[in-house]
Amino acid sequence: MRRQVGANIPKVDGLEKVLGEVRYGADLPAKEPLCLKVVRSPKSHAKIVRIEMDEALRIPGVERVFTAKDIPGKNLVGTITKDQPILCSDRVRYIGDPVALVAAKTSEAAEAAANKVVVVYEDLPALNHPEEALKLNGPLIHDKGNLLFEFHVIKGDVQKGLRESHLIIEKTYQTTWVDHAYLEPDAGISFLDEKERVTVVCPTQNVHYDQKEVASVLGLSLDQVRIIQCATGGGFGGRLDITIQCLLALAVFHLKKPVKIVYSREEVFQVTSKRHPLTIRYKSGVKEDGTLIAVEVEILGDTGAYASYGPTVCIRSAVHATGPYLIPNVKVRSRMVYTNNSWSGAMRGFGVPQMAFAHESQMDLLAQALKIDPLEFRLKNCLRNGSETATGQTLMTSVGIGETLRKVKECRDKANHSREDPKRPFIKRGVGVGSMWYGIGNTGIANPSTAQMEIDPNGEVRLYIGVADIGQGSDTVLLQIASEGLGIPLKEIRVIRADTALTTDAGATSASRQTYISGNAILDAINYLKQEAIKEAGPLLNMDEKDLFYEEGKVKARTCLTTSLPVREVARRSGKVIKGEGSFDPETTRLDSKTGQGAPYATYAFATHLAEVEVDTETGKVRVNRVVASHDVGRAIHPKNVIGQITGGVAMGMGFALMEEYVPGGTTSFVNYLIPTSKDVPEVIPILVEENEPSGPFGAKGVGEPALIPCAPAILNAITDAIGERIYHLPANLERVLETVRKKKAGNSNH
Amino acid sequence: MRLKDFTSNLKRSDPQTFRRLSLIQTMEITIKFTINGKIVKVEVPPHWTLLRLLREKLGLTGTKEGCGIGECGACTVVMDGRPINACLILAPKAEGRSVETVEGLGDQVFLHPLQQSFIDHGAVQCGFCTPGILMSAKTLLDGNPHPTKEEVKGAISGHLCRCTGYQQIVEAIEDTGKKRKVIR
Repeated sequence: MRRQVGANIPKVDGLEKVLGEVRYGADLPAKEPLCLKVVRSPKSHAKIVRIEMDEALRIPGVERVFTAKDIPGKNLVGTITKDQPILCSDRVRYIGDPVALVAAKTSEAAEAAANKVVVVYEDLPALNHPEEALKLNGPLIHDKGNLLFEFHVIKGDVQKGLRESHLIIEKTYQTTWVDHAYLEPDAGISFLDEKERVTVVCPTQNVHYDQKEVASVLGLSLDQVRIIQCATGGGFGGRLDITIQCLLALAVFHLKKPVKIVYSREEVFQVTSKRHPLTIRYKSGVKEDGTLIAVEVEILGDTGAYASYGPTVCIRSAVHATGPYLIPNVKVRSRMVYTNNSWSGAMRGFGVPQMAFAHESQMDLLAQALKIDPLEFRLKNCLRNGSETATGQTLMTSVGIGETLRKVKECRDKANHSREDPKRPFIKRGVGVGSMWYGIGNTGIANPSTAQMEIDPNGEVRLYIGVADIGQGSDTVLLQIASEGLGIPLKEIRVIRADTALTTDAGATSASRQTYISGNAILDAINYLKQEAIKEAGPLLNMDEKDLFYEEGKVKARTCLTTSLPVREVARRSGKVIKGEGSFDPETTRLDSKTGQGAPYATYAFATHLAEVEVDTETGKVRVNRVVASHDVGRAIHPKNVIGQITGGVAMGMGFALMEEYVPGGTTSFVNYLIPTSKDVPEVIPILVEENEPSGPFGAKGVGEPALIPCAPAILNAITDAIGERIYHLPANLERVLETVRKKKAGNSNH
Repeated sequence: MRLKDFTSNLKRSDPQTFRRLSLIQTMEITIKFTINGKIVKVEVPPHWTLLRLLREKLGLTGTKEGCGIGECGACTVVMDGRPINACLILAPKAEGRSVETVEGLGDQVFLHPLQQSFIDHGAVQCGFCTPGILMSAKTLLDGNPHPTKEEVKGAISGHLCRCTGYQQIVEAIEDTGKKRKVIR
């Protein structure tokens, strides 16, 4: 059989996607579904005095208007802290909070009725800044207080380290809200299935989490709720939280008729999670020879109205605060605060892209002050096999950061970077580097995956896996792993996926974890299947189990080269389903609650980007010409998919660096939220550094988030290189670049 | 004046006109046009967009709605040889025209070379932008069989893709041009 791992096979869902046959949420067929429309708060903080719906109910076609009173179970959801109502009962906490839900025969009637629901509010003081929210005796957004979470990483003695430093640089960095801007607006259907289960079919990144929340909101047991993931038009973290699932389920629970909801783009902008804005005060100390000796970091994050993944971002940003460097003295304090802004949640990188902007800016500032080449400076300080991280974890293998730096350095040294354009004197060119590290999987907590493989007597081979493929290609990669592990061609394996009634919990498609964790769960299942096959083959071959082994889809005899039986033949002749159930949970330790010490991830991915930019000093326009993206992903199971993640990550990183800025209550469409187009994106030169990870499936790690993280810092460092002045506030849009150029000019003329 | 205020004023001041206007909301008109080479006659409320007509009446859900206001390009179809945003065109405008959607591009047995090239180049991730981009790419290649990279980028610059960073998409289109001698 042809090797599967490392092969660029066609994506398994590619054909139906290019034919336009694949069905996303809004395309799902349902029998005369009722249309749902949500009534939302125009206020950022207010008490709900009363809700009047008589007029709405009089509109022809309207079946029902639901409010919080109609929720039979617990009216709070949230992945870590359950604080977010499905429909607000007494109070709204941000512009867009859901208050009522209309079900009507047509979308027009639902929309008209939603406009006729009258909600009487009484304004409460709104808090829009984390510092403001932390003030004592101020208004409380949630009863337990406005500080959602606080986390520390403490290693060595930071004060001593700073005292011993030859040079200390301290700066403050600011990032803003970013929208996932997945292209498919949330949409789905719900109905009672043949077993009377409340069934929701929708785009999502985690069917089993959705199932738990829907069951809890409806007061049902898990087996009365079924979630099926339909084709999902992107996620990037935005579909880890509950969006439409509970609304759909609530309507079906009461009406017992099929229902459908389709969010408008405006609604997606207004009510789904965002990237957390972080304020990062960063102090670094370095010895005269360029050895990093101390960092002290203070992070303040705005989680908005609800917790969502706020605690995760709080912890992950602290754990990754040092960047991929060896630093003996570290002190990080990270706080996450409630405000009345749009709620922030998971977005590609969980706070690490924001941190990379800060630590990579610091690295360049230090290198410049020490007059060391920025790449040499990083190479000198980067983690190596055997290094200890800020959380006290010793990384024994697969620390590829050095190699990514060397590869980028080769490219930079070969290129001829001219700084000026003789024909366009107002153009300044620059080159910048950004590096990152990223822990694969959830931080210091169990995050197992499970999988089943079976071969039935008819010879059908099936993989059952709860993983949600959101477009990144996990179905393809996991099938490659299954095919390689089993020794059966990929085309002959059927995958049954992301349906809570048919598959078991594989955890979320997040934290770049599915290739590594679910890939391993599949290999574990295959190991059990092989044992089972050998056991069943014994009597068929008249041999002892001990004398048999499994290879290339066959049970073979150790003693006789010609004696073998294909595994499907074993199933057929024994008349049994040959089955294996597997699981995998990466080896991590819980982080100490006071010092953040521990081993939060089993493995880390590393990357370095080099960006070449030109800045128009008259308009502030930054053009990114080329990005060399060097990634240590472990073994690339599907190199073309990996490259696709990298090119997509670069585009998103470029948006984060230069143009994307969501304004709570203000951003409504792609007219005022710009994301990169084909004319904006740079040429991407991907370089795969495949540092084998012994614990990964065939040596693989992950790439989804790492692809994005180093891009913005590389671009910002390149802009600094071009204009000679640094920008500390993302995005570096036209206004900020122009302002910085002018500041530089004013500074120069003062000298 | 907002439409809502206008109609409620009208209801008071001129009930007869108001009723006539309300009637428009519920009435349907018949339009005849060519869709993927076949002539269809279909009843449609006059305020529907072409996108809604395609998706809800003709069952052609391959054409996607990503924003509804002509910003993302996901609903791109070809009308009389030109790519258009189906979300910005009222359905009655299709009268007498020829409209092509992704469903007319190729099928399981005979993929359009662009479709094959998208698969080969890994140009599809979530796939939501794919049908629209395919239609713009087809129009480009119909008029310019061997476009340069810059021409390809220009032709798809009205489309948003959040997954791929466009690189494989551009390569897929460019490569289709390079490989083909004659464009169907």
